[in-house]
Amino acid sequence: MDNMTFGKYIPGNSIIHRLDPRLKICAVFIFLISVFFDAGFIGYGILAIYVLLCSLVSKIKLSHILKAIKPMVFMMLFLMIFNIFLMKTGDVIIKIGSISIYSGALLQTAYIFIRLVLIITLTTLMTSTTKPLELTLAIESLLNPLKRFHFPVHELAMMISIALRFIPDLLDEAKRIMKAQASRGADFNEGSFMEKIKSIISLIIPLFISAFQRAEELANAMESRNYNPEATRTKYKVLTWTHLDTLSMLITLGVCCGVIIMSFM
Amino acid sequence: MSITCQSLDHIYGYNTPFEYYALKNVNLKIEKGSFTAIIGQTGSGKSTLIQHINALLLPTSGEIKIDDYIISQNNKPQNLKSLRKKSGLVFQFPEYQLFEETIERDIMFGPMNFGIDEKRAKEIAKKSLEMVGLDQTYLEKSPFDLSGGQKRRVAIAGILAMDPDILVLDEPTAGLDPSGIKEMMDLFKKIHEMGKTVVLVTHDMNHVLEYCDNVVVMNDGQVEKAGKVKDIFLDSDYLLNLGIDLPLITNLIIQLNLKGYHIDTSINDIDALVEVIGGELHG
Repeated sequence: MDNMTFGKYIPGNSIIHRLDPRLKICAVFIFLISVFFDAGFIGYGILAIYVLLCSLVSKIKLSHILKAIKPMVFMMLFLMIFNIFLMKTGDVIIKIGSISIYSGALLQTAYIFIRLVLIITLTTLMTSTTKPLELTLAIESLLNPLKRFHFPVHELAMMISIALRFIPDLLDEAKRIMKAQASRGADFNEGSFMEKIKSIISLIIPLFISAFQRAEELANAMESRNYNPEATRTKYKVLTWTHLDTLSMLITLGVCCGVIIMSFM
Repeated sequence: MSITCQSLDHIYGYNTPFEYYALKNVNLKIEKGSFTAIIGQTGSGKSTLIQHINALLLPTSGEIKIDDYIISQNNKPQNLKSLRKKSGLVFQFPEYQLFEETIERDIMFGPMNFGIDEKRAKEIAKKSLEMVGLDQTYLEKSPFDLSGGQKRRVAIAGILAMDPDILVLDEPTAGLDPSGIKEMMDLFKKIHEMGKTVVLVTHDMNHVLEYCDNVVVMNDGQVEKAGKVKDIFLDSDYLLNLGIDLPLITNLIIQLNLKGYHIDTSINDIDALVEVIGGELHG
């Protein structure tokens, strides 16, 4: 758990760090849509170049991004194996006994692999160059129009920021409890199945208890300061949209729309 | 069981942007049967150091020897588990590790993990609970119905139940009331008198003076000084520089000496001090 890098903010002062978080969320969203349009390998090549350029500009080390991909490898393999054996389009390429592998399946599997790597890389770039608090601000600001329809935008943003705020704390807490139980002989890695279950229970129960405790304390602290979600409030941090943001938006739109148009040709 | 650290380094998040040097070239020997205090400011590496003593953390480089066990990056002790039985570690706020339905079952968790059968573990639970000053009526209660101080005792009983040769305590008295602190410290003294090695991380210099024989001063991930308690407190300016307060008694003696008294600063007991002051006044 020491190597949890996925989603962790890495301080820096690159252009990507300074971009408006609203822009980053929109860009990732548009990118996610375009990645699912099949524009062949050329299309994916263009998107890959876009991701690569973003990561170069952000000055985030490649090793850090690779670390974020690592925990997904198992899931990716799982998906790929299923795809290779279950899809039945195109010509039969290999035939082993009753199992045959089709060319379409190979192509689709390659696409899935590329898509996942691109998506994980770009979202990791976003979360490692944007503070969680900024992301929440951006979400609140982007959802603001929904207020007209009495959608609880502020409450939602508050919930997200509280949840994000406590993730590192809970991870620390989990690490601490694991260590405490390990020194009482709990074995999280080896041992029989029943032993493992017992060890995990010894982690989960204290973790839940402390999470509920924190929640109650926080609720009391907020109430004692008269927190009212409906109150209009000013913001300490105000998001400002600059020309750089407009430019980045145009580039992203250009790349993504280009790929989408290519997929229809 | 004596503990020997040799050029021990520990780096958190090695090779990531969050790299942090927690221990730098620590060389240290903690004698078998001693009562050793580890002192130093917050962030000086005390907690990191003690987690090496039962292999919860492995050194980035260097090694620790505990009897036949050698803990190092490449040489994980073959039997990590049996080392953890021999050196019991009580974390800060250990009450957070309670999880069972009854106190008895929670105390039995440790011994049973180390292969002790249920009947024997029950006897151990009863004995350990008695040791921390709670009577048998507590055995069937839920640990979550207890007060903070009682929870702490049950958690410590859970470690004592493993009958470790080395007992490592990370600020065991933090957040307790004065009478609870006194009882807790007297308990550790009793355990030490049973022949166990006790390592105590603490911010309370009065405890160091009153209970410990040896003291290790940590600063910025390094061992600044290690030696007998009475020698360490002689150099008061040095300790104050490191942000470490003096024990009340030592401070009083120093203040008196400034006003012309000649009292031995190694006195650690208020009665002895009164006698000496009396002697000086009459003599």
